[in-house]
This record gives sequence, C-alpha cells and structure tokens, in this order.
Amino acid sequence: MITVIKTVLSAALSGLLGLDAVQAGQFLLSRPAFVGPLLGWLNGCPLEGARLGILLELLYIDFIPVGGVVPPNGTAAAAVGVLAHSAGGLAPSLSFFLGLAAGRSYSYIEYQLRASRSPWNAVIEAQVAAGDIFLRRWLVKAMLIENAVMGAYVLAWAALAACISYLPGLSRLYPGTDFAYSLMPWLGLSGLYFRFRTQIYKKR
Amino acid sequence: MFFKMFLRSFFIQAGWNYERFQNLGFAFCLQPALEKIYPDRAKLKAAMLRHLQIFNTQPYMASFVLGNVASIEEKAAAGPDQEACLKTMPGVKQALASSFASIGDRIFWGRLKPMTAQVCLLVWAAGGFYGWLFTGLNTKVSVWLLMAGPVAGIVFYSAFAVHWRWYGLKSGYVCGGSASCGLDSANWPRLIRVLSTAGFLMSVAIALTAFGMLAALNYNSGRPGDVFLRIALPVGVLALHRITRALGKSVFFAAGLVLAFSVLLFSVFGMRPFRLYI
Repeated sequence: MITVIKTVLSAALSGLLGLDAVQAGQFLLSRPAFVGPLLGWLNGCPLEGARLGILLELLYIDFIPVGGVVPPNGTAAAAVGVLAHSAGGLAPSLSFFLGLAAGRSYSYIEYQLRASRSPWNAVIEAQVAAGDIFLRRWLVKAMLIENAVMGAYVLAWAALAACISYLPGLSRLYPGTDFAYSLMPWLGLSGLYFRFRTQIYKKR
Repeated sequence: MFFKMFLRSFFIQAGWNYERFQNLGFAFCLQPALEKIYPDRAKLKAAMLRHLQIFNTQPYMASFVLGNVASIEEKAAAGPDQEACLKTMPGVKQALASSFASIGDRIFWGRLKPMTAQVCLLVWAAGGFYGWLFTGLNTKVSVWLLMAGPVAGIVFYSAFAVHWRWYGLKSGYVCGGSASCGLDSANWPRLIRVLSTAGFLMSVAIALTAFGMLAALNYNSGRPGDVFLRIALPVGVLALHRITRALGKSVFFAAGLVLAFSVLLFSVFGMRPFRLYI
C-alpha cells in the first residue's frame, strides 16, 4: 500500500516538476539529472535514481528545443525509469530503457497538448475585446492540464512496468539489457563530447 | 512594474501554442506595464489585443523584447503621434525576437544546458562518486552528494538565466524603440566562444577521467585480451555514436542498436555476460 501511495505521489511530483521544462520557471528542475535522484530518494533507491537520471540526461543532451521542436521529455523518462524500478520491480537496466521509450513517446503527447491550445487564441481575443483581460486563468488552466497529463502518463507507465515484471521468462532478458545498460554511460559521454566538439569545429 | 513583469516572465511559455507560440505569455508579462501606461480601459484593451499576436523567441531573452515594447508603448502613450509610434512596433518586436532567439538558443540550450550535466559530474567526482559510470557497481554514497551534483548544475544555470531575465528587462526598457536595442549589451560572440571552449575542455576532462577509471579498475586484472576488450568496447560505442550522428540519426538509434545487439548476444544466443570492470 505504501508503495502505491509513494508511486502516486511521485507521479504527481513529476507532473509538477515537468512544468519547469517549458511552462513555468525553466530552472532545469525538470531535467532527468535532478528528477532521477530526487524520486530515487523518495522511493528508497537514490543511487539507482541518480544513475538513471544522469544517464538519461547525457543521452537527452543530443536534443535542443529550438524553433518549437518538441524534444523527448526528460522528466517523464526519469520518473518512469525510477518508478519502473522502485514500484514496478524491474531491474534498473530494463527500467532505464523503459524510461527512455517513455520520454520519447511523451513528445507526441506534448505536441498534441500544445496544438490543443491553438483554438484558445480566438476565445481569448474575444474575451479581451469584451473587456476581460484576466489572462492568468488560461495560463493556469494550461499548466493544470499539462501537470495532470504528465502525472497520469507516469502512473500508467509505472503500472505497465509492474505488469511487465510478472511476465514469465523476464529474467532471461536481463543479461542483454544489463550489458547494454553498462555501455550507456559511454554513449552519454560521447554525446557530451560531440556536442561541444561540433561547436569548436564549426568555430574555425 | 518591473518586478511584476520579471516574475511573470517565468511563465512566458505557459500558454505556448502552435498558432501564435508565446503570445499569451507575452501579453501576460506585459500586462503590468500596460495597466500603468493606459489607465483608460478601452486603450488598455486595445494594447492587450495588439500583444496577443504571434510572438516567439528564446524564453530567457524575451525580457529584452518585453522591456523594449513596454518602453515603446510608454512613449506612444505620452507622445503626440501614437499611431506612427505604434506602427514601427511590430517590426522592432519581430527583429528583436529573431535576434535574441538565435543568441539565446546558442547560449542557453546549446552550451549552458549541457554544462549543467558537466557541473553535476564534476561535483560528484569531487565527492569521490563515480558510480554512475559503472552500472551494477554498488558503491556507498550519501544522498546529499547525489543531490548536490544536480543542484549545483541548477544553481550554475539559473544564475545566468535569472540574471539575463532581469538585466534584459531593464536594458530593453532603457534603449526601447530601436530594433537593435540590447544587442550590444554583451559581447555575445565572445561569450559563446568562451562557453564552447569551457564546455569542450570539461568534456575532454570528464572523458579522460572516465577512461582512466576504467583502466584503473581493469589494471592487473588478468589476461591482456580481456583488458583490451573492456577498454575497446566503450571506444566502439563512441565510434558508433559518431557514425550514427554522421548518418543523421539520433542518439536513440545508437542506444537501440546497442540494446538490440546485447539482447541478441546475451539473452537470445546465451553468450556468457561480462562486466566492463573486474
């Protein structure tokens, strides 16, 4: 029961932290490097949380949110990764790859959420033209929706992870996922290296 | 007025949409200034409608545009020819938004954001934690150190972000009206160059330390062939990433390849798994 409560609270917290990515603050509280250890700490696995978080962070460095592009969501990735391990009972390696997939597929949902706000413009213009300039309620509405969707999304993936953990023969998969996971820090490091090497190279 | 605009600027992207991008946030941020400039409700309404049009720039650098536009609105309200003054505003707004988007993307997204990960890794290294590099290796580490790394990165990044939000607002307001306003407030090319060089040097330092750790863990560990394999594999991953990048594929593709081959070799064909360290 405690695990369920912790998972629900963690999903809600990840929804809140997720707002920092685009909508509120942008202090990088939504980055996997922070979300991973924080949720890991809250769920009793700080080391695995930090490891998952920084590895996801290093891989996600490859994506830059310029020109309205929706990059993979690091908050969803880290939250799903940690909860798949702590609540779902999966090995850290499989949790990591599940998180990676969850972060990638959240960008489609985020795209839909952004697109769904476009029709608001006409309504807001009519409202302002009628003398009501209280825009805050629209922004709060947008953030509440985003928060709820992210929380539900993380919770759904955690539930999926729990279901996966009951699959027969799952342990046979772990030698492969463990080995791939052990190579991820090096893939992340190469991402870090090439991000800056390209800049230095272009400069000359 | 400035402080209210500054606080609201943290929510400039709250209503981001594909039709007009940051327009809702922009109008929301500008509202305190417009309320002060136009006590008349009809004029305030018209001003709000003007700023609900399309707008998009880098969120931290939007402050430069906000300050500038507030200044133009103020001059227009106080001057004799409001129409002429406001006529130039969309052009100025657009020009500044594009310029600052380019500068901000390079500084914040392209350099400072990856540097927060580097800061995190350096803090962990200073605290003696390298456990992130060797998965499966259980090391004892305090939660405070684990949290200190990302928090240090956030503090480092936010210092820049908050500074430019506040400074941009002030500086945009002071030179308001010009389409080049604020563009000379820093030596941007130099700042970008310094950040690139610092980021690259930190990347090299982190990579060398990582390979040094790997070599140290495998030192005197038995057959030279095993040691060679354990060092060659990470180098191979680096090469794989380089090749997939050259092919225009994302890092997910490289990660997917590594996963697929590993599962095939160790889970399907049942090869005996091994670790990168002995």
